[in-house]
Amino acid sequence: MAAGETGKTTYTVPVGPIHPALKEPIQLMLEIEGERVVNADILLSQVHRSIEWLGMNRNNPVQTLYLAERICGICNICHPFCLAVAVEQAANVRVPDRAEYIRVIAAEMERIHSHILWAGVAAHEIGFDTIFYLTWRVREEIMDLIEYVFGNRVTKAVLQFGGVRRDITAEQLPRIRKSLDYYKSIFEHLRRILLEDKTVQMRTRNVGILSGEDALKLLTVGPTARASGVLKDVRHDQPYSAYADLNIKAITPDIVTGTVVGDVYDRIIVRLLEIKQSVEIIEECIARMPEGPIMSEPKMPKLLRLLTDAAGEGIGRVEAPRGEDIHYVRLESGQSTLATWKVRAPTYVNLMAVPTILKGMQIADVPIAFASIDPCQSCTNRILVVDKATGRKSVVGYEEFHGLSVEKTKELQR
Amino acid sequence: MSLAVIILGSVVLVFIGGFFSMLYRGIDRKLVAYMQGRVGPPIVQPFRDVQKLLMKENIVPDGAVSWLFNAAPFVCLITSVLLLLYIPLFGQKALLSGFGDALLVVYLLILPSLAYAVGGFASSSPYATVGAQREMVILMSYEFPLAVSIVSLGWRISHATTSNPFMFSTIAEYPIWSLVGPLGIVGSLILLFALMVITSGKGAKVPFDMAEAETEIAGGILVEYSGRNLCLFYLADIVKAFAMASLVVALFIPYNLSPLVGIGTPVLAGVVDALFFLVKVFVVMFISISVIRTATARFKISQASWLYIMVMTLISLIGLILISVDLMV
Amino acid sequence: MERLTPQAIIDSFRKELGGGFVGGSVYEREIATKKNKFRSLWIEVKKSAFRDAVEHVCHLQKYPHLAIISSSDLGAQVELIYHFTIYYGHYLEELSLGLRIKLPKSDLKIPTITDLIPGAIFTEREVQEMMGVEVVNIPDGRRLFIAEDVPQGVYPWRKDETGPEKLLRVLPGRQPRGKAKEG
Repeated sequence: MAAGETGKTTYTVPVGPIHPALKEPIQLMLEIEGERVVNADILLSQVHRSIEWLGMNRNNPVQTLYLAERICGICNICHPFCLAVAVEQAANVRVPDRAEYIRVIAAEMERIHSHILWAGVAAHEIGFDTIFYLTWRVREEIMDLIEYVFGNRVTKAVLQFGGVRRDITAEQLPRIRKSLDYYKSIFEHLRRILLEDKTVQMRTRNVGILSGEDALKLLTVGPTARASGVLKDVRHDQPYSAYADLNIKAITPDIVTGTVVGDVYDRIIVRLLEIKQSVEIIEECIARMPEGPIMSEPKMPKLLRLLTDAAGEGIGRVEAPRGEDIHYVRLESGQSTLATWKVRAPTYVNLMAVPTILKGMQIADVPIAFASIDPCQSCTNRILVVDKATGRKSVVGYEEFHGLSVEKTKELQR
Repeated sequence: MSLAVIILGSVVLVFIGGFFSMLYRGIDRKLVAYMQGRVGPPIVQPFRDVQKLLMKENIVPDGAVSWLFNAAPFVCLITSVLLLLYIPLFGQKALLSGFGDALLVVYLLILPSLAYAVGGFASSSPYATVGAQREMVILMSYEFPLAVSIVSLGWRISHATTSNPFMFSTIAEYPIWSLVGPLGIVGSLILLFALMVITSGKGAKVPFDMAEAETEIAGGILVEYSGRNLCLFYLADIVKAFAMASLVVALFIPYNLSPLVGIGTPVLAGVVDALFFLVKVFVVMFISISVIRTATARFKISQASWLYIMVMTLISLIGLILISVDLMV
Repeated sequence: MERLTPQAIIDSFRKELGGGFVGGSVYEREIATKKNKFRSLWIEVKKSAFRDAVEHVCHLQKYPHLAIISSSDLGAQVELIYHFTIYYGHYLEELSLGLRIKLPKSDLKIPTITDLIPGAIFTEREVQEMMGVEVVNIPDGRRLFIAEDVPQGVYPWRKDETGPEKLLRVLPGRQPRGKAKEG
């Protein structure tokens, strides 16, 4: 690895594309003076899967829905949810009320999972592996519940345009309640280990501060913005789906501490309280869920016909665990694919706040400060076409690559 | 003592000490795993790690100062192993007890860290450079409280005897606990506490592993090391932690079990004392390494440095004052 | 700040932009059991009035949230939609505001708005590399998502000859299919 000298007093430390602090490839170029970060630059373009292009050129909308689920493993409800909302607007498809509630339940379960997973990752970033193991053990309960209700731990394939594909039956409710009670019972423990532990406080307080004004200027969304005191939650401001019935309050850290600092500690508070909020939302949804059908158009060929004939545009907004997702969809009559599909994942905008967050921090703060926005590269980098060998030697073709790999294996066998 | 005895004894001692060091590292990992709710690796894992690392390719990066890069792990391991010869182990006198005292051990303890930092600077990676800088800072930070604790101890013992108070034999002969009154006991406990925290720092585990700091600087000093060189550092780290715990035992718990229970036969007494020694080292290592690293997050270098230079120095000075007050009254 | 109704916002745009205003519409949709409204606004302006329109959005809401710039290849034109959200923080009152600009392919240039909204930089860089729309005076014109070894002059979102089709790789053992369109 090359050490690039940029001046007499500062030097550049590259973090990534492969680095233990990063769970996904991204490159941060940190300009360091001693232990202090003077400047930071973000280089994306490490992984591209051309998902939007596939949605616009190869897939029919239903296939795209399942592709959207694979934009990101953790946000596997938010993205198809968001796409479904946008397409339903564009094609004017009604969604039965019961389906709206099931969608919200699925989304909130995902939020519980995502926030607990984040807590573990954040603890690992500050070297507190004990919390990492404990939180991930707690996470298993929601994974089991998701599997029980929706049939799979990760990609659940539960959404469909105009409804959902799986109902929640009456005999499933006791099992759901059991898990929710479990989270209510351990919430106090989680709060104590994440908020009251001295070393966690030492590592997170006054680290990675983002002021409310910067949060607004740099367009941050989700827990990152709320931790800076910005009241911004799509579920409250412009509710979609069953959230429109619920009146959910945006959570800011001053509920606990009385003040807003905008540091990593505040982001922990927001995410922790959102776990509790999600449990309450699921309970309320179960109580209010109306009876009725779960899909407005169960026949697939008819649905595809309808989407092919439809023309229009729609904008889907979903509050994902990391922040607001926006999908813009334009449908053209007679075209079997989406005419335009633009995905905006929360990390896309939150990343712009990273240089501000990191400036003036120590190297030791970089992993936790960066992780505190809960960056998701797979959500952000999804756009590029697969590149072909363009005559440059750095790009290795498939056959050449295969040959090299066989050669190396033979060499090792000797 | 003839040269042959020294050489032979050293070889035997290094192997036995090394064996128990690695065993204790395995036990430490297993215990930490249990405390974290994991199954954890088998207790023999450190032996397997060493075996595997020795089989791996040894890579020297292009930009590195290769002789320094290769020499650093050897120096680190040799100086760590040397500690085993100067510190009394297994309830016996140290092999080279006539040639050095506790102060020499304090100096020797610096050398592995220095070699470690030199290896980091020589590997020409920005991560390793940051790690080496951190290692130097932390080394300078805990040196002062360490010196204060050991010197206070020796100073108190020097009032009881005319022989060199820093010789381990003298310390064993006049255990601090039997010399002082109630105030002095409190003072000694404070010194013991300070030394335990320093042991944690010497062990270079969480919360004091910022020189390696996997999630921050990707392994720091060790980032460019692989194969044999990494194996030597790995062993040095293990031996150093064991030696440091033995030092705490030799300074503060220099008791032997055999005179207390009245075992006369030399062989049996030796076995009992050796087992008792292992128990004492286990307790020290369990508290100062396993528990601390389970219960804390990694400190920032500024926080660790502040903790040692300010807090720990202050605490050990309070211990010293209490002991001296105890002497006056 | 006083919050206007969607129709009043459209009127204010018409008044503010005069001849630069092309059209506006309000979309409403009833959702869930309580039949609360999900509302979005769509406003189309001419390129000449674009900066004034964004300034007017900043006037309606201090720090408007620019979600993304979406762009579509319409054949002879490229359509850019700046998706704003305004009036956030108030229950059921937030609005999605789509500001639509159509650019002829002969003159694919749009002024930057990073001086008004600093966070617009990523999406402007993306539009520049993906659609080939030149953002005039952009403070940082590097590529964002596309790797350096992709040739210049290829724009993945285009549907004409500058599209990415020629870069598609055919894996060994597969027949080239060109632009695969079947579902």
